[in-house]
Amino acid sequence: MMEQHRDAEGNQGQLDFEQVFLPHLDAAYNLARWLLRNDQDAEDAVQEAYLRAHKAFARFRGGDGKAWLMTIVRNVCYTMIKKLRSHETPEPFDEECHQPTGESETQETFRQKANAESLHCALEKLPDEFREVIVLHDLEGLAYKEIATVVGIPIGTVMSRLARARGRLRVEIIAANAKESLS
Amino acid sequence: MNHDEAAKLLGPYRDGELDLATCLKLEEHLAGCPSCQKKLEEEQDLVAVIESETPRFKASPFLKTRIVAALREEKSSADTVSWWKRLSLGSVFSGLAGAAAVLVILMVGFFATPGIPELDQDAVANHVRSLQVNHLMDVVSTDQHTVKPWFAGKLDYSPQVVDLTPAGYPLIGGRLDVLDHRYVAAIIYQRRKHYINLFIWPSDKESLRGKLYDVNTYHALGWTKSGMNYLAVSELGEKELREFVGMIQEQTTDSRPGE
Repeated sequence: MMEQHRDAEGNQGQLDFEQVFLPHLDAAYNLARWLLRNDQDAEDAVQEAYLRAHKAFARFRGGDGKAWLMTIVRNVCYTMIKKLRSHETPEPFDEECHQPTGESETQETFRQKANAESLHCALEKLPDEFREVIVLHDLEGLAYKEIATVVGIPIGTVMSRLARARGRLRVEIIAANAKESLS
Repeated sequence: MNHDEAAKLLGPYRDGELDLATCLKLEEHLAGCPSCQKKLEEEQDLVAVIESETPRFKASPFLKTRIVAALREEKSSADTVSWWKRLSLGSVFSGLAGAAAVLVILMVGFFATPGIPELDQDAVANHVRSLQVNHLMDVVSTDQHTVKPWFAGKLDYSPQVVDLTPAGYPLIGGRLDVLDHRYVAAIIYQRRKHYINLFIWPSDKESLRGKLYDVNTYHALGWTKSGMNYLAVSELGEKELREFVGMIQEQTTDSRPGE
């Protein structure tokens, strides 16, 4: 083990951790902030994730550093969520409800009214399982295969969950707009 | 492919996640199915809105400082401990010297990854440096007709500068850089908050083979077209970098007469 660390040939164990992972700090924070919904918790989670990643760096064999880091960030976040929500009643998770309607008149409204505020509200309302695939794919640009690794589900499930997440997001955006136009 | 199957695959089709065979089958169905065409359009609109409108949370500079401090504290104490063990000396000086030596090795070792061509490693090093030393751009412009003439007089060739703003990869500027033992043009594009350095220079020494390399979480992809070498480097994922490269390849015209 020591030999490996003293080897100057450029083994993964010696790569500068900061140069590899700090470029992904914003992505890590974005995921943590969307999962925890609070600046302070998100900052703590990201710092914890970087320290854990640093400890596990010897096991990092190159490849996709972003997905590797995001896996750790996600794990830290869910541990925190469990602690934070242990006193609350858990919300039932039902993938089947709120299927998208996709009618043409709502499509028109949708294009005109979707803005940063309605997107923010809509994404906040999604269950964690849906919100994280939207963040990982549509905001952070991870491929299905990478998301499968990060979340620990088969690629087929990534595909169907992303489809449902987008469907629900559409419904939430439309609902947010309808509420806004009433008030 | 029947209608129900096709309808389920519209999202993955939009995301570029289908294999070629499935893609062709789906396109065959799409051509004759207005309902699926409409659904695909809706999916494209929805994702475009999600991508462009959803707020991204950025880490504060304070968080970065905090993390770097915590990491260094941990690293120096770990290095000190291991050196103490190795040398069986309790002296603080040997520990500090050990930590410093490990840091030097880390810095030297970073870009020398076996199996990856030197050129790609150099290009990634240039990319990282351009982001770190706050020297991303020499000419800041989103206009290809400003960026291209800027290189005249600085290089003995004229790089083609294409703008991919409509595709979500806006041109943001250019820089003179050194690669392959010569001055080269670096064209900088942005994707969300990530940057892509596209290096362009004449391929008089060697051609690039279009292979994607993964260098310490950065991706480098080079190719040769019409006597010019192109090498794109970014921290973007493989999928997006390939999409970007595909569009650059499509839009750079052949310099042969009549085309």
